[in-house]
Formats: sequence, C-alpha cells, structure tokens
Amino acid sequence: MTAAIVSLKDILVSSPMIALLVMSLIPVMMKVFNGNREPKPFVTVVYSLLGVIVAIGLTASLSGMRQTAFNEALVFDGMSVWGSLIVLFCGGFGLMLAYDHIETNAAQFSEKCFLMLGSMIGMLIVVMSNDLIVTFLGIEMMSLCLYILVAMSREEILSKEAAFKYFVLGSFASAIFLYGIALLYGTVGSTSLPAVAMKTGELLANHNQLFYIGMAMVILGFAFKVSIFPFHSWTPDVYQGASTPVTAFMATAVKSATFIALLRLFQHADPSGQSAFLTEPKFLSVLSWLAVLTMMVGNAAALVQNNFKRILAYSSVSHSGYLLVGVIAAGFAERIESSLAASTVVLFYLFSYSIMTMGAFALVGIMEKQVGHALTVDDLKGLASKNPVLAGALALILFSLAGVPPSVGFFAKFSLFGSAIEQDLYWLAFWGVLNSVVAVYYYLRPVVAMYMSEAPGEIRLQGGVLARTTLVLTAIATVIFGLASSPILQFVSESVLNRL
Amino acid sequence: MLSLIVFLPLVAAFIVALSPRETWVRPVALVLAIAQFVFSLALLFRYDPTTPALQLVEFFPWVPALGVSYFLGVDGISLWLIILTTFLLPVVIAGSWNAISQKSKAFHIALFVLQTAMLGSFVAMDLVLFYVFFELSLVPMYFIVGIWGGTRRIYATMKFFIYTMLGSLLMLLAIIYLMFTAQDVLPSKQMTANILELYKLDIPFIAGQFLNPQALLFFAFSLAFAIKVPMFPFHTWLPDAHVEAPTPGSVVLAGVMLKMGSYGFLRFVVPLFPEAAEHYAWLFLFLGSVGIIYGAMVAMVQPDIKKLVAYSSVSHMGYVMMGLFALNTYGVTGSIYQMLNHGVSTGALFLLVGMIYERTHSREIEKYGGLAKVMPIFTILFFIITLSSIAVPMTNGFIGEFLILLGAFEASQFFGGLAVVGVVLGAVYMLWMFKRVFFGEKGELVKDEHHPLHDLSFRELAVMAPLIVLVFWMGLLPNNFLKYSKTSIEHLVSTKDAYQLAAIDSDGKLVDTMIAMRPVIAPEIPSVLTAEAK
Repeated sequence: MTAAIVSLKDILVSSPMIALLVMSLIPVMMKVFNGNREPKPFVTVVYSLLGVIVAIGLTASLSGMRQTAFNEALVFDGMSVWGSLIVLFCGGFGLMLAYDHIETNAAQFSEKCFLMLGSMIGMLIVVMSNDLIVTFLGIEMMSLCLYILVAMSREEILSKEAAFKYFVLGSFASAIFLYGIALLYGTVGSTSLPAVAMKTGELLANHNQLFYIGMAMVILGFAFKVSIFPFHSWTPDVYQGASTPVTAFMATAVKSATFIALLRLFQHADPSGQSAFLTEPKFLSVLSWLAVLTMMVGNAAALVQNNFKRILAYSSVSHSGYLLVGVIAAGFAERIESSLAASTVVLFYLFSYSIMTMGAFALVGIMEKQVGHALTVDDLKGLASKNPVLAGALALILFSLAGVPPSVGFFAKFSLFGSAIEQDLYWLAFWGVLNSVVAVYYYLRPVVAMYMSEAPGEIRLQGGVLARTTLVLTAIATVIFGLASSPILQFVSESVLNRL
Repeated sequence: MLSLIVFLPLVAAFIVALSPRETWVRPVALVLAIAQFVFSLALLFRYDPTTPALQLVEFFPWVPALGVSYFLGVDGISLWLIILTTFLLPVVIAGSWNAISQKSKAFHIALFVLQTAMLGSFVAMDLVLFYVFFELSLVPMYFIVGIWGGTRRIYATMKFFIYTMLGSLLMLLAIIYLMFTAQDVLPSKQMTANILELYKLDIPFIAGQFLNPQALLFFAFSLAFAIKVPMFPFHTWLPDAHVEAPTPGSVVLAGVMLKMGSYGFLRFVVPLFPEAAEHYAWLFLFLGSVGIIYGAMVAMVQPDIKKLVAYSSVSHMGYVMMGLFALNTYGVTGSIYQMLNHGVSTGALFLLVGMIYERTHSREIEKYGGLAKVMPIFTILFFIITLSSIAVPMTNGFIGEFLILLGAFEASQFFGGLAVVGVVLGAVYMLWMFKRVFFGEKGELVKDEHHPLHDLSFRELAVMAPLIVLVFWMGLLPNNFLKYSKTSIEHLVSTKDAYQLAAIDSDGKLVDTMIAMRPVIAPEIPSVLTAEAK
C-alpha cells in the first residue's frame, strides 16, 4: 500500500462531493449564526440548487477523465459520470419539489436540504465506489440521511411508522451486507471489486461455500435498497409515509445509485476477459427468479391499489424487476463488451425511469396540497378539463411508464429486452413483456380518471411554479428523449465503453 | 412525399389545436381532411403499377447502432390501404358533425393523430418504426372510445388497449430476436430492423415441431395481428369497443384499424416466415372459416344493430384471413379487395346506424320496424349497403368474396365449402335485420308522434354519396383498383419462399437501404456538457 497522500486527482474526483458538502453547510450555518432562526426557504433552496449545479458542472467537465482515486477506492469512469449525473438531476428536482411542498417547506427546511445534499454525497460515493467497504459507507451515508428525512414529515403517525420500518429493516440489511463483505474478504483476501472479480471464477469453480454465502448476502443488501422481492415489503409503506418530495428523491436517486453499484459488482471481468459470474448458473437462476417475482409482485399489488403514491411505489418495485433483468444481462454476458453494452442500457433505463417517476411524484405533490389526505386515483377525476396542461403532462408520463412508443419508456424497455435477448435470456424477456401488459392497466387508471370522468367537486391547485416546471419538463423530456434516444444511447455507451 | 402524407394529419392536428373558437374546429378539420385526401391521390399518379418494387422510398438512419431506420415505402399491397385511410377521414368528420358535441377540438386532434399513426404503419418498412406507429395508434383510439363513448366505455377501452398491447409486445420480442438473428446470419454482420434485409433471412423451420425459431416467431407475429384483425377466438374486444365507441370511432376502427392486422400478415408474417405460414395455413383457414360462421351466427341473434354490425365485422374479417392464407393469387387479391370493401361497407353501415341513433337514441332492433315508410331515402341507402355487405353481384362485396372463395377452394375444398355456408348465413342475418327494422309493424320509436323521424339531411346524403358511388364503382369496375395491386400480389405469391423487394425512390433510382457499419468507438470523449446535462 502506498502512503495515503491526498493528491490532486483525488480532489478532482471528489470535487462534486466537496461542492455539495460546502453548499449544504451554508444554510445550516446561517441558521446557527442567526440565533437558530430559519433562513428564508428561498435562500436555502438557492444555495442547495447551486451546489447541485456546481456538482453537475464539475462532473460534466471531468467526464473525459478516467481515474481512480484514494488508493483505488473510488473510480471515475463513464458509469460514474452518468450515474452521478442521474443522481444529481434527481436530487435537483427533488429539491425543487421540496421547496414547493407544504410538508417539507416548513420548519427545519435548511436541515432537510442539508440532509438531501448529504444523502446525495453518499450516493455519489456509491456510484463511484470501487471497493465493497466504500460502497457500504456510501450506502450508510445515503440511508442515514434518508431515515431522518422520512421521519421529519409532518404527517405524524404514518411518517413515524415509515421511518421506523425503514430504519429497522434497513439496519438489518446493512448488517447482512457488511457480514457478506466480511465473508468475501475471508475468501478473497480483499474487498476491492476488481480483486473480487479476479478470484470469483476460481472460487466458484471450487464451490467455495463461504464465497457463495458472502456473495448472496451482499446481493441481498443491495436487493433491500432497490426493493427487490422478497425484500420489497417496506417500499409502499415508506413511500406513502414520507413526504412526497422525499419519496420522489428516494424512488429515483437511491434506486439509480444502488443499481449502479450492483452493476459494478457484476461487471468486472476475470483474468480471461470473461464476465466473472458466467460459469455459475446458480446465481443466474436465482437472480432470474427474483427478477420475475419482483415484476409480478409489484405489478399485481399495484393493480389493486387506489392510493396514487402506493401505485407508484409498487410500480417502482416492478421497475426494479425490469432493471434486474438488465443487470443479469450485464452480469452474465459472455464478452465484456456486451456486458458494458448491457450496462449502458441499464443506465438508460434508470435515466428514463427517474424522469418519469420524478414527474409523477411532482404531480402528486401539486395535487396533495389541496386534497389534504393521501392522493387517490379518484381525486384525479376531471383534472383534464380543469387543468389540461397538468393532466396532459401526467398522461404523457404514464403512457411512457406503460411503454407506449415513441416515449422514452418504450425505448428504455426496447433496449432492455434487447440486451436480454442478446444474452439468450428469452424467458426473462418474455416475463418482462407479459408484466408490461399487466402494468398498462394501473398506469392507465389515472388517465381514465383524468380524462373520462367528471370532477365531483372543484379542484384547486396551489402555486408551486417549481413543481409544475418539474412536471412539465419531465413530460416533455419523455417525448424528446424518446425520439432522440439513439444519440443519447450512443453517447452514453461510448463513454461507458471507454474504460480505464 | 410519403412523409408528407404521413405527417400532414399531424400538422392538421396542430392547426386544429390552435383554432381559437370551437365552432371553427369542424370546418377547419373537414377542409384539412379533404386536402390530405386529395394530396394522397397524387400517389396514384406517382405510383408505377408495372413493378413490384417498393416505391417512393425514403430512407434515413434513425438508431444506427441498432440498425433501426426511418424507412418509408409503398407498394401494391399498401397503396389502396393508404388511400382508404385518407378517404375515410373526411367522411368520418362530416359524418360526426353533430354526434360529437363535447370537446370537439380534442376529438379532432385525436382523429388526426390516429390518422398519422395508421398511415405510418402502412408505409413503415422498418420493423421498429412500424411497431412505433402500430402502438401509437392505440393511444388516440383509447381516448376516442374512453371519452366520447357509451356507458361501458371505460371497460371497453381498457380491454381494447390491454388486449392489443398484449399481442404487440410479444411481437416486439420477436422483432428484437429477428434483429439479432440478422446480426448473426446476414453477410453484413450487422443488426437491422430493415424489412427488406430481414426478408433475406432464412430462419430454420422444422415441420411438425412447435418449438423452433420460425414457428415461434411466426406465432408471436400472428398473435399480434390476429388480435388486431380480430380473428376468432381473439375477437372478444371488438364487439365491446365497437358498441361503446362513438360513430366516428367505430368507422375508423372497422374501416382502417382492423386492416392494420391483416396488412401485417401480408407484409410481415407471410414473407418473413413462408414455411411456417404454409405449414400452419390450415390453422388460419380453419379459424378464418370458424370466424365467418361464428360471427354470422352471433350477429343473427343480436338485439342491438351496432353489435350486429360489429359481429358482421368478425365474419367479414374471417374472409380476409381465409383469402390471405389460401396463399394463392386469387385468395390474396380477394383478401386485399375485401379489406377495402369492408372499410367502405362496414364504415357506411356504422355511419347509417349512427344517423338513426342520433335521431332516436336507441339501437334496439325491436323498437324499430316499418322505418321504410317514414324514412325512404335512408332505407334505400341502407339497402344498398346491406347488399354490398352480403356480396350481391354488382356491388364491391361480390368481387372480394368471389375471389376469396376461388382462392379458398383452390387451397382446400373443405374450408372453401365452409366459407360458402358463411355467405348464406351472412345474407340471412343482414336481410333478417333489414326486414325487422324497415318493414312490418311500426315499432314504438317509429310511430312516436311526439318525435317524428326526419329523413336524411343534405349533409348526411353528402356523407353517404361517395360511399355509395364506391360500392358500385368497386363492384362494376374492379380492375380500376386491382391493376395497381396486381404486380405486387403476383410477386408475393410466386416468390414468397424467397421474397425480395427492390427499393426505388421518387426519381425511380434504386436506393441502398443498408446502414453504414457501426461507428467505431471514439478513443477520447471531449468533456462537454451533454444532452442530459441540459
């Protein structure tokens, strides 16, 4: 080991995180030095957004760099760039929603922004991590901030229950994850991901039980965070209990960051240039079943929900299932090139999923203000005649979630099933397609409510320029990025293929 | 040229959306619809019927990495379907002048978007592009049925959407598989969704075994199109959707959208999977003939006129499928002709049913009777269309059904015989319905003194006139229409095992429809703000 000297490249790689940290501290400091008086929410959100924008700028301007930092603990490559950008954009939109939402923009707004930025720092670490221990640290940082954010909602009972559930189950998952890392360290002798990949083939060939258990536990830890069946049961409760901007943030950014870490686990090649897990069909079949069951459980449960937030929560579970298909395609590809191509597709899917989910939650936030209780599908009745712009935007987003062309959701699914078929995973693609059909039903129910029923009473929507901007922007993005999916995919895949 | 035809309706949708007053919407929409019909007629002059090649081709790479292109072209198979589509739109708009009272602006926007999607699927020669248009057509129809439909509209529109999507998503998997097969097999070693390249594939087929690539692909495609057609036993969404849809929705659905299914069989299923199509032709002949007879029998007992017409659609599309899978020149020609006939006569029937429904707000056959005395002109028109629907000589229906029966007998005497039974049943249910509605005792709605029934207005006559003209024109001078399709059909039937098409652009030059090889991965990425970062 070389001496731990922080060099310029370390600072460069971590500069987005530093920017976030500095900017997140300013509003809180202002509060402290002002005799614990809350600074104006507008000031807070401007500082926080500034931090996000600076971080985006830094990430984008460093995007050509291929570096490892901090003794190879962090890696800065194409996946890091795109993963960071997705996380940062989700965070930025999350902040905008939080500013416009009555539950979050209240007492302790500066603390909430601080926690959101802190969580984003954790996510950036997860995205860039090249070492399981560092991944663990990132996940913990991200999660701890979220536990508090969930608990800070004003809605008393549900929010506390949600926070408690999330915290207890999350801690279990983290403990298991950590134990898994320990077992891997015991068998491999290192926690660095490339080192693990180097040994994987050999250990699998020897049927090393300890390695199996350790790997299973690590995967389990990830599965909890991205709510893969059977570790998904917290999702609807927490999504419902947390205040909507926080939910939007969690549903998009956390999922993206964790999935990218999961990709990294599978994607490294062994010495022969093959994907490390290729030799072991057991992992493949277990993960495949998990993917299929996740899709089915998520979709089936969403069918019977009436609470819009819970529908989105279950939809997020089912999207984890689709994403897992992509991860499997990346993890069990024969050649590293096709593995990277599949990773690109997963990134693209995460990106499209994040846009759509963020938009849907933005609408929940706008509508929630006036409904005063949990937003149900029936509350959307007649929205089209009262506010055609919002209704149209949500309809676009929902059609995109359902995968109707030429939206971004369609192209994401298209390329995802494409990469599955390329790896001969026909059954997975088949189940994915069947599930997409089931999902159409619950995605279209809000459309039916908005366009085909009359409003029972008056719908009053309040202010919220930022939240509306988010909704409209994301809706436009679903169409534009759908039609222009080719250059985006090309661009991302070039930068992902261009590795260290 | 083709791009213009496809996207003019979309432009029209924008113009309609911008029109400041609700009262302007209908005239503006009608003028635009007529304009696009007239424009599309120019196709007939630009089209060269002597060559089977794909003409007026437009080709640009769209997603080069996956071999997906923006590739439009027209040949004898799709030519008339395009004209039928553009022809029906002004008829529909004029026919629904009073039927759509609420949100007429949104309605016409939906119609125009639907028009773009339907035209797009008839000219798209790239599987992914086709899929995009094919699926896109669901969305406006979903809204048309769901917003302006009858009482059970939400059930009907959901069923329609999900049912159709189920089929087409399986087709999507098959499309992806084909694209990868192309990469492995074709000399260019490159993924492609270009249909002309995919025609060159020789997909392994093992007769008598279900689990082989060609049979599975064949059934994945077939399911999507069979649901769309709809073929017995996948027809259950159709009566629901038809009955609940507003009149213009029914006309477009029956007139054009169902043809997207049968067109898909002709364009994709038969040439791509010729062995499987031949091997499983009996199944489709069987289901087609069952559909004919079943549709007719169910139509016979319907108490609701619109439902009767809807089931007659199932029956008529059964003929189309039979003709198609007879896989000979007569059958295929008849099937294409029958698609057009069905568009004209079933469209007209739905319009007529809509007209009487606007007056009485009832479609129950029992409540009518003796209508002939009250509304003579309506009766005459209805009678002409009825004759066309039951394929009486001199009407368009006769030519289509006759050719299909010729083809079917050539393919299999047994199924041909079954189809003839269907012809008789068709006459039975239509004429029986006609008798009950127009003759005999005056029904309660007809003799209602408080609401006397008026005969057709000038607008309604103007709507029906072109359809009636077409019924006789197509019945008496079929060659005016068939001469355009002849070469393409003969080419398809005679060379279906090794089907190939050349692509000619509007200047008559051959077009190379291969996309350049995948771009080489750039070694260095300039650090710029990306598309995503905006």
